[in-house]
Amino acid sequence: MKTARQSGLVACHFCHTLSKLPEGVDDINDTYLQCPCCQSSIHSRIPSSLSRTWALLIAAVILYIPANTLPIMTVTLWGDGQPDTIMSGVIHLMDGGMWPLALLIFVASIFIPILKLIILIGLLLSVHFKSHWKPKDRTVLYRVTEFVGRWSMVDVFVIGILVMLVQFGNTANVTPDIGALSFASVVILTMFAAHTFDPRLIWDAINHEQIHN
Amino acid sequence: MACPDCDLIQHIPTLAIGESAHCIRCDATLYRNQKNSVDRSLAFAITGLILFLIANMFPLLSLKALGVTQDGTLMSTAVSLFEAERPFLGLIIFLTTIAFPATTLLGTIYVLLQVKMNKINSITAPLFRFLRSTEAWGMLEIFMLAVLVAVVKLGDLADVILGFSLYAFCLLIVTLTLLSYSLNPHDVWNILRQKKGCNA
Repeated sequence: MKTARQSGLVACHFCHTLSKLPEGVDDINDTYLQCPCCQSSIHSRIPSSLSRTWALLIAAVILYIPANTLPIMTVTLWGDGQPDTIMSGVIHLMDGGMWPLALLIFVASIFIPILKLIILIGLLLSVHFKSHWKPKDRTVLYRVTEFVGRWSMVDVFVIGILVMLVQFGNTANVTPDIGALSFASVVILTMFAAHTFDPRLIWDAINHEQIHN
Repeated sequence: MACPDCDLIQHIPTLAIGESAHCIRCDATLYRNQKNSVDRSLAFAITGLILFLIANMFPLLSLKALGVTQDGTLMSTAVSLFEAERPFLGLIIFLTTIAFPATTLLGTIYVLLQVKMNKINSITAPLFRFLRSTEAWGMLEIFMLAVLVAVVKLGDLADVILGFSLYAFCLLIVTLTLLSYSLNPHDVWNILRQKKGCNA
């Protein structure tokens, strides 16, 4: 069994059409190859996948700090404004006895983003060190991360809906704060990071081994 | 074909309807053979477009407090954030709940009609590629969950009135789920490939 790269072929990322790599052409760098079927530019692996994923992840980790420490919204009741961070919002829900809701927001806004950052950093490190540890499980982990990441946006939408509906002047109103933007940026940056990571890199270390044996 | 997740070249056997092929090494789904994928997807996409229009026409939720009623539509969620001087948040919400879902529905209908009527032109493939890569950015199902959270949260403080559009919106989520399940990109690519005479 051979991979496309070992056979001198390049698979299109979108339509999966296999194209032959011209003699002597570098299969990763900027040589411009076009898919004959859908005209997208094709690469054997996503170009500079690791550095781009690192860059996006580092930006996400930095923004993760203001996302959690700065207030995401201010709820004003009877003229008395109270800023809420993500965590204090979860605690308020628990105090109010709405623990299923608190759990949902906790999982979507705190648990998933942290897990996603840790998994992606772990995957990047494993590729850097050419790890042979359970490549199949790492691929599954990658698929789960890519799939689940967008659900973190739920808190941003909740803020949007509250801001839209609770507009009763000084009696009751909700205003969005800068933490919400930081948080949305973290979610979007990690979505891009998961997208630029190429899971085929996990398998390249193993392919290399197979040739030598 | 080469596995998109691990690059291993494999031959895909002829599959019966309802069967799917998985990568022998990393278990990625390589191909699903579905009945009438193009026809069914087209039906779901058109239904989705109609429901999307209805969902945008009437209020989703209304909040009643102190004798005042505040209506909220899908569009006004993004608008209210612009008004609260958070243009980037407003833009993110506009793109994920209106712009991307609308392009996905319109684009999918256009591509599938072209495929069905055998009138493929030079923009079919790039357009379908664009639709595939922006699929993850339409977040209506996540917005739905946010609506539920907001209803429970506000239910304590004031009267929440469920709007007419909310029912259309729920049906829209069901339709979009069915659409993403029935739409088999491989079928569309195979047809485009046959036109151009490329190999899988």
